Amino acid sequence: MSDKLLKIEDLVVQYITDDGIVEAVNGLNITVDRGKTLGLVGETGAGKTTTALSIMRLIPHPPGKIISGGIELDGMDLLALNEQRLEKIRGDVVSMIFQDPMTALNPVITVGDQIAEAIMIHQKVGQAQASQKAREMLEIVGIPGNRSNEYPHQFSGGMKQRVVIAIALSCNPKLLIADEPTTALDVTIQAQVLELMKSLKVKFQMGMVLITHDLGVVAEVCDDVAIMYAGRIVEQGTLEEVFTEVKHPYTEGLFNSIPNIDDRKEKLKPIRGLMSDPYNLPKGCSFCDRCDYAMPVCETEKPPKIYFSDTHFVECHLYRDQQDFKLKGGMK
Amino acid sequence: MSNKSEVIATENLIKTKKRSQSADVWRRLKKSPTAMIGLAIIVLFLFMALFAPLIADYDDEAIKMNVRERLQPPSTTHIFGTDEFGRDIFARIVWGTRISLFVGLISVSIALSIGGFLGAIAGYYGGRLDNAIMRVLDVLLAIPTILLAITIVAALGASVLNLMIAVGVSNIPGFARVVRAAVLSVKDEEFIEAARAIGANDFIIIVRHVLPNSMAPIIVFATLKVASSIMGISSLSFIGLGVQPPTPEWGSMLAGGRAYIRDYMYIVMFPGLAIVMAVLSLNLIGDGLRDALDPKLK
Amino acid sequence: MSEVILEVKNLKKYFDTPRGKLHAVDDINFSIEKGKTLGLVGESGCGKSTTGRVILRLLEATEGEVIYEGVNINHLDKEGMRRLRKEMQIIFQDPFSSLDPRMTVSEIIEEPIKLNKIIEDPKARFERVLELMDLVGLSRRLMNTYPHELDGGRRQRIGIARALSLDTKFIVCDEPVSALDVSIQAQILNLLKELQDKLGLTYIFITHDLSVVNHFSDDIAVMYLGKLIEKAPAEMLFTNPIHPYTKALLSAIPRPTLDKKVEKIILKGEITSPINPQNNCRFSDRCNHAEEICRSQEPALEEVAPGHFVACHLFKK
Repeated sequence: MSDKLLKIEDLVVQYITDDGIVEAVNGLNITVDRGKTLGLVGETGAGKTTTALSIMRLIPHPPGKIISGGIELDGMDLLALNEQRLEKIRGDVVSMIFQDPMTALNPVITVGDQIAEAIMIHQKVGQAQASQKAREMLEIVGIPGNRSNEYPHQFSGGMKQRVVIAIALSCNPKLLIADEPTTALDVTIQAQVLELMKSLKVKFQMGMVLITHDLGVVAEVCDDVAIMYAGRIVEQGTLEEVFTEVKHPYTEGLFNSIPNIDDRKEKLKPIRGLMSDPYNLPKGCSFCDRCDYAMPVCETEKPPKIYFSDTHFVECHLYRDQQDFKLKGGMK
Repeated sequence: MSNKSEVIATENLIKTKKRSQSADVWRRLKKSPTAMIGLAIIVLFLFMALFAPLIADYDDEAIKMNVRERLQPPSTTHIFGTDEFGRDIFARIVWGTRISLFVGLISVSIALSIGGFLGAIAGYYGGRLDNAIMRVLDVLLAIPTILLAITIVAALGASVLNLMIAVGVSNIPGFARVVRAAVLSVKDEEFIEAARAIGANDFIIIVRHVLPNSMAPIIVFATLKVASSIMGISSLSFIGLGVQPPTPEWGSMLAGGRAYIRDYMYIVMFPGLAIVMAVLSLNLIGDGLRDALDPKLK
Repeated sequence: MSEVILEVKNLKKYFDTPRGKLHAVDDINFSIEKGKTLGLVGESGCGKSTTGRVILRLLEATEGEVIYEGVNINHLDKEGMRRLRKEMQIIFQDPFSSLDPRMTVSEIIEEPIKLNKIIEDPKARFERVLELMDLVGLSRRLMNTYPHELDGGRRQRIGIARALSLDTKFIVCDEPVSALDVSIQAQILNLLKELQDKLGLTYIFITHDLSVVNHFSDDIAVMYLGKLIEKAPAEMLFTNPIHPYTKALLSAIPRPTLDKKVEKIILKGEITSPINPQNNCRFSDRCNHAEEICRSQEPALEEVAPGHFVACHLFKK
């Protein structure tokens, strides 16, 4: 068995609508090692959630369609599996946590039963055993086990997200996909949940794809970072590489847009313009019309993938001829 | 470079003047073929009503009994045939348009304006006012519509005007409910608060922001109600409380021809068809209008 | 000392709920000088948005005074309030729901001008709309589009243009950037800053995100469950936070950097709601340092250094 838990190769996903074709993901490559956490960073419309749903094979069809590429999870070719096999895998080998804990739970079933349900679907255990396990799961995520008979509305937002995490982890998945798991939470509660997720990923030894727009969250939880823009990974590397040697102008722009809490004098340098129309992506680099470093070639040619180490690569014309090109700066 | 783009922007400006909302709605409505068909049919009916005297002679063809020509099938002289009294069915339908369509439209307008007003203030202000209005209307709602209409006509006396009032009033609670529900769903939206923040008073907020955004269910309900009003009028006519014979009216034509349906189907078919066409066209317009009023659907 | 434009005195706003009286805003005091920005910070349910709405009288205060340029606005009649609304405006959090979906961009911006009869001539009014669009960086060709056709950043620009369309001097910004993407967020923050410098506006900047206000505010007030618990000039609050909650809030922000000089303070428990509050420190059940006195007595807001106010029993030690 290889040490690669998840391997996505040249994934292309499109949404075919009356207004045209949305190229949500076009040519995406990522890998997640066992027990490692990959931060998938990008803004609205970058294709993060589409990527996550592709791994779950939950792309709504129509209008969505996986056009080409491969997704390999734990040695299985996910795109070749039928719906029955997929149902066995979802929640068991791979689980997903959604952004909004308020709507992710069924309001008329107790939280204990909701966790037990997930367990009984995938493991041959009886009701009593599943309920017992559900209580244990609640304890693991920091909720007293005796609250398992309560209904979701009796829990606050942070607690609900803990319950959602308990459900996701109840069958010891090998891969957890967390789609903006803390975005809907308050800052102090977010800190609690992130702390919990950090300890759980060690405890359960699972790989994780953490989807977020917040580089701060990435810095806290992730081992590797992939920066996504307009359906492609524009820069990927270990946390250290991406945070200390920013290579892609978009990554630099993201860092410069974040207000720095430790230095209030610093001026915000937003990325100008807007993300390209997903119905009509530019021929060359998707970022070129917002890029301060854009060259004529950026408009006409797709940028090549350039490696700086085994793990760190960038898709950008700037480094084609001069590997040691330096961005203007702005790293903190 | 930025100067140049500004010049272009101003040039664009001269060409693309501000578009008005009603022009926008009309532009979107035109794009819907079904709505246009509905509109064409309704316009046809309206013309028929308006120019009825030019199409058929009222006294001679529409109400004068002519026993010799009774129950004739459609032919060149009577294109829709004649009824059991020998009256020309086509002429009666043409003249019936005046009553059926107008009573239908006007009674719905009465119900819409009064019920809409009550529903809007009940939904918007809520609390005790809401309770008071809605409980009274609930009592009305508990009485079957037709029974209520019968009571009103019986009290006021049978005439076309009273008929419209009766059917209109009996539809008020339904409209109030629909409008109230629609208003409730938009009144807590943030743009309502935003309007208040710029100093808009309640009247402006209701008229300019709440109602336009709650139009969809109201329009659909109203077009359906026109149909049921036409039927309601004919029911009243049938029991002698509505339009008095021999005045032509679609519903009563349908009711009168009922006895001959086995052998002379056309007697009921043509007025029935008229009702169906009127209702269908109103529905098509209603659907089209609902979509045209929503800028999110292009 | 410059001129105080707005003063809030003993402001209270209670709501009746089935479970009891919700003390959404409970006896808060602050003032803002002309041309400055006050950051009002706190987590959900702390009463920051309610405070903003009570100041604009979109909600009626239960008790207390809001004094704007020397006038107690709680006592103004409808006409007086209408006049005042030309100067006091609000920018909403959600650029999706705060714009009427059935109006075009130009109609939305025009509405306040028309309604308040600022410019009666339609042509001149339209010119003003275009001017405003230029001012907030909205391309003129968008005037006939509908909000749903635009992205969040542009929609928020419409909201800003609308707020500026009157004789605006004072704006409550209610989480104006929290619904936006980071790169767009920075654009809007810079725009607000520019407009403030250009037009001499005064802002109350309501947010849950301390890093945003740090950038923006002159003073910062931190709220927790309806109470003002700490207030200080921004610099001071960030370098020397005193209240345990402020400290935890500051440390909890995920920083996009690898060197972790700030130690995380993880609070226990959840945010509750201030329904029928006891006479205690409302933070005491989550506070890592809480003592007996914190659970039995409500701390008052006291000045611990010039301009730095804290409501905590423990700072004296």
